[in-house]
Amino acid sequence: MSDEYLWDRSGDPDPEVAALEQLLGQLGHRAAPGTWPAPAPKRRWPAYVAYGAVAASIALMIGATFLTTRVAHPTWQVVSVAGTPRVGAADVGTEGTIRVGEWLETDASSRARIDVGLVGQVQVGPNSRIGLLKTQPTEHRLSLARGTIEARIWAPPGLFFVETRSAVAIDLGCVYSLEMDEGGEGLLRVKTGFVGFEYGGRESFVPQGAACATRPDLGPGTPYYEDANAAFHAALERVDTLSAGSSGHADALTTVLAEARKADALTLWHLLSRVETADRARVFDRLAALVPPPPTVTRDGIVQLDRPMLDLWWDALGLGNTTFWRAWKGSYPLSKPR
Amino acid sequence: MSLIGPPRGTAPGAASEAAAPIPPDAEADRLAARDLPLVEAATSGDREAFGHLYDLYGRMVHGVLLSRVPREEVDDLVQDVFIQAMERLNTLREPGAFGGWLAAIARNRATDYYRKPATRASHVEWSELPEAVMATQESVSEKTQAIAVLNVIRTMPEAYRETLVLRLVEGMTGPEIAARTGLTPASVRVNLHRGMKQLREKLEGRS
Repeated sequence: MSDEYLWDRSGDPDPEVAALEQLLGQLGHRAAPGTWPAPAPKRRWPAYVAYGAVAASIALMIGATFLTTRVAHPTWQVVSVAGTPRVGAADVGTEGTIRVGEWLETDASSRARIDVGLVGQVQVGPNSRIGLLKTQPTEHRLSLARGTIEARIWAPPGLFFVETRSAVAIDLGCVYSLEMDEGGEGLLRVKTGFVGFEYGGRESFVPQGAACATRPDLGPGTPYYEDANAAFHAALERVDTLSAGSSGHADALTTVLAEARKADALTLWHLLSRVETADRARVFDRLAALVPPPPTVTRDGIVQLDRPMLDLWWDALGLGNTTFWRAWKGSYPLSKPR
Repeated sequence: MSLIGPPRGTAPGAASEAAAPIPPDAEADRLAARDLPLVEAATSGDREAFGHLYDLYGRMVHGVLLSRVPREEVDDLVQDVFIQAMERLNTLREPGAFGGWLAAIARNRATDYYRKPATRASHVEWSELPEAVMATQESVSEKTQAIAVLNVIRTMPEAYRETLVLRLVEGMTGPEIAARTGLTPASVRVNLHRGMKQLREKLEGRS
């Protein structure tokens, strides 16, 4: 036996130690470098979103340059709206600041507002804990550990992020609310614009008027409209939480498809890439009955998850297109809110 | 009673065994020194530096937790430990002590885990798994075998099981374990030697 191999892998390998290393190594830490505190976003938005974002970014370049040269403040302003919010151990008072690495906390009777440089505003509800992780011209990043926020962001898309324990919300030019509990269960509601919601490669694209749950270990669920019926909601929750391929999952999917309205095409489009191949064809059939696919989009192509076809069908859903991005600049004032 | 005890972090009884002289370990010192600028930068609020520390110390924290709490809880607790560390980094007076400080947070977090009544059942559950499962039957998957061996390691004294998990599960070398946990190389070496001996005996059914 070579103790040197056990110590630092030098010398002749000890076969027993080497075998144990190989066997037990599969239980070790798996996080890839650079993933603190959440897996790095891996973008796979529909192509038009990417093109739209680029177009919007170019269109806004002058404005963005103006903004970002001014927004790289190392601190953000915090305003007490009610009660006694705290940053670290100190009461905010009427107005205070939050720096990178600091956390703002509100109790049951407190509310606060954070001015996100000059690019937006975040209202912080009671019983919340939110940290400032990063503020740079190209990226502003908060962490919501618990509680509720409402974000109004008028920065170019993809500059403002809110990390949570189970998903990252990526602002694509919008107003949205996000509530989280300490265990990582949460709900995103988008009031205007679009929000990307993702974790560990699982992505949801949430347009205006839609909501999306997120759960620990599972990440973002499938987006939906809250005015769908109760059976649809209950079944969608089962689809999101049960193992694909299980009988419970298949039954729940059947209910989702049966109860889906035309507006729920948003949900069915996301399900295309989340169900197993065997179920994808029946999602196709139901979605096609609600919103016929463009002529060049085929059943086989969708079953094979052909990305251009998925994008074309998304465009046909009426949930926005590049025009949105061109119009985006006019949606919100490019001045510091009061 | 002897006033000269075993090296810090060494399992009970380890010092009584005649061990070969242990040379100073320059590699452990080099690794620890290399991390100092990162610790100092992170302490002053550099989040990117903290991210690098997560990359460097993630396996250590994972291993410390895995040797104590149910496997399915470990990933979440790793995040908890680093969040706690980030929040408390300004209380760290000696940057050179970061590894030991972080390991202590991880051990305390594991202890806290069992203070919640709802989690005690889990502890009983995995500690009572039949060791027979570890038999290398062809029908048993590799992952099941790995979990079975891990459960055997978890029955060992704390210092042994932590060191063995860091070495065999997390793939760290002895010098790395010393540098990242703040234990002395001598302690780690003794724990590895004694722990591996005990593990072989358990796997062979001799204890």
